[in-house]
Amino acid sequence: METKKCICGFLAAALMFALPAFAAAQGTIKIGGTEPLSGTFKDIGERYLEGVQYAAKVINESGGLLGKKVEVVPIDSELKPDVATRKAQALILKDEVKFFCGGTGSSVGAAMAQLAEKENVIMFTYGMDAASMTGEKCNKNFFRPGGSTDGRSFALAQMIAKKGYKAVGIIGQDYSFGHEAVAAFKKKIAQISPSTKIVAEIFHPAGTKDYAPYASQLIAAKPDVIFTPNWGNDLTLLLKQGRPLGMKQKVFSYYINDEVMISSLGDDSLIVGDMGAEIYMLNIPTAKNKEFIEKFHKDKGYYPTWLRGKSYIATMFWAAAVKKAGTTDVAAVIRAWEGLSYDGPAGLWTMRACDHQAQVPYWAVEIVKENKFFKHAFEGPVTEIPAKDVEVPCAETGCKMGK
Amino acid sequence: MTSQKKASYLFIALIFALGVLMPFMIKRYHLNMLTEIIVFALYAVSYNLLLGYAGLLSFGHAMFFGMGAFTVAVSLIHIPGLSMWNAVLLALAMTTVVGFITGGFLLRHKGAYFALLTLAFNSLFYAVATKWHKITGGDDGLSITRPDLNLGFTTIKMADLTNFYYVTLVVIGVAIVFSWYFTKTAMGQTVLLMRENEERMKFLGYNTNISRLILFTFTGALAGLAGAFYTLHFQFVSQSAISVDMTTTVLLMTFVGGTGTFWGPILGAFVYIILQNYLSDITDRWPLFMGLIFIVMVLVIPGGLSQIILSIRRLIPGKRNTDRPVAAEEASP
Repeated sequence: METKKCICGFLAAALMFALPAFAAAQGTIKIGGTEPLSGTFKDIGERYLEGVQYAAKVINESGGLLGKKVEVVPIDSELKPDVATRKAQALILKDEVKFFCGGTGSSVGAAMAQLAEKENVIMFTYGMDAASMTGEKCNKNFFRPGGSTDGRSFALAQMIAKKGYKAVGIIGQDYSFGHEAVAAFKKKIAQISPSTKIVAEIFHPAGTKDYAPYASQLIAAKPDVIFTPNWGNDLTLLLKQGRPLGMKQKVFSYYINDEVMISSLGDDSLIVGDMGAEIYMLNIPTAKNKEFIEKFHKDKGYYPTWLRGKSYIATMFWAAAVKKAGTTDVAAVIRAWEGLSYDGPAGLWTMRACDHQAQVPYWAVEIVKENKFFKHAFEGPVTEIPAKDVEVPCAETGCKMGK
Repeated sequence: MTSQKKASYLFIALIFALGVLMPFMIKRYHLNMLTEIIVFALYAVSYNLLLGYAGLLSFGHAMFFGMGAFTVAVSLIHIPGLSMWNAVLLALAMTTVVGFITGGFLLRHKGAYFALLTLAFNSLFYAVATKWHKITGGDDGLSITRPDLNLGFTTIKMADLTNFYYVTLVVIGVAIVFSWYFTKTAMGQTVLLMRENEERMKFLGYNTNISRLILFTFTGALAGLAGAFYTLHFQFVSQSAISVDMTTTVLLMTFVGGTGTFWGPILGAFVYIILQNYLSDITDRWPLFMGLIFIVMVLVIPGGLSQIILSIRRLIPGKRNTDRPVAAEEASP
């Protein structure tokens, strides 16, 4: 009879169930950081997570949040939305984690936002940039204390218009992020500089290895400058393969101040003179930024560049909201965060209530050879683009926030 | 045989009773995990009907699982007011049709050719899921909200974990019991005999191609049902559900549990999900450990956990004649 055999099996399994779950430590506020901690984008995920962890450390060293310690629980999203939500759901059920954050992968962000709404927890992002997440996909449990494709594209369009360029070549990755970025750029440039022409608009598959055909098309269109939302390897290879082919134009890019990307180019001349706009840079001339960089460098031995800075500020902003709420109750924190301002290293950030998109200043920068941070090329002096200049009016976001 | 059958029914009733009591005994986190286990148990059982019973090694079972998962998500999003039942029925119908059509192509080949063709078909479905962004959401996946269950006289809130657990237990439980019953029917026996000696079956006058197609379609529909509940459970589906990874998952479950018995894969699903949850708490490298376990299983205990349990039982005196694996026992009448 197989019945008794089964009983043994099921009993064994039932015993495993009975094992006590990891006892949730009392007196801590847990925050789950969903980042790709393995695979191709491990480096990006780890740098983001470091910023969050450093923020937790700073908070804990100054007496904690509401008298409790902040504990960051790393969640390896593997850059897959199903993996991220599955692990997050387990944390919600097991440890009653109420706060989640993440910076990589708008697909992960969109799924996490939905989960947050269903489970009534809070998800915030500092690097998942697709504008739609605080647009038509917005919900009350999702916050973006960071930039968006709209903000970035508007900032770059403004820089190009101000410099008086009349012919722009566009190259972007052929997926939702690339298309959203390009659409926003075209919209803004048509508004503020109608005489500027788009002479080329090229989309290539993300992760392309051979840029020769795309670079040739760009060169043939004879643009004054090139706009690209490309990031990571897609930016590195575009510059590495395009420059020798004769792509001499200034490149305006979303994520130009990535020290890992610049050092992997191996040749500063490929990137010196290119420009970008970001919400955090080492060169932001505020006293708070100087203090932040100094402390971070003393602690870690390297600089809180780009990703680390962004996630640090976003986490501090979240902590400010929890502090204002005076409780970790989700509804109270949502109310407290709406309309809240945080004056941090990157200027004044204000969380807009209508779409939960933080209104943040962007910082325009040109990559220069000589800098005080690295031996390779890095950020030159920065200029502020006020939040007002790149604002998307509430009515135009497409966000209908359910209460 | 009759006493064994009686004992089997008793056992099934016992398991159901245990299942009904579970929400009172375990925490919500574990209940959530148990729901997932039940869903994957059906997926593994359906896979084992192909692998263990019919001897068909398929690398494309995820296409049914994923098809069921996506059908539920897409229909719930695009057909307003669709009830949960109808969404599940749609998924079942869809996977049955897909199983029938793909089966017609795939089953012309045997052995390695069949295995590789299933892999190719799976990749085809995966590519469609990835590229057809408008419908499947591509990389972003699809989020849904479980619709409440309207029973006519009352409405059950499906957002509640316990309610959904009960629905899963009943629907998936019945499907698993039905699969078990299927293996006892003449049709189920035909499949076994075909695996053992197809030529002889042909000489006896059986149309083995049709029997195989029926089995293939049936297992496809079962996997589709599991996929449908996977979407309802996670309230989210992405291309992972239809990727080769999902086939690997069910392959692991089936091998860990053992292909020699009907209930082996259920045990496999149990152990796999629990290990996955606990291991991924401890390390990000949990697939490495799962891989090691798989290798050890295949090399040392090819019969899986069910073989271990059978061996233990062999040590108990007086039970010698009843401890052969089900499949082998019934294959030689």
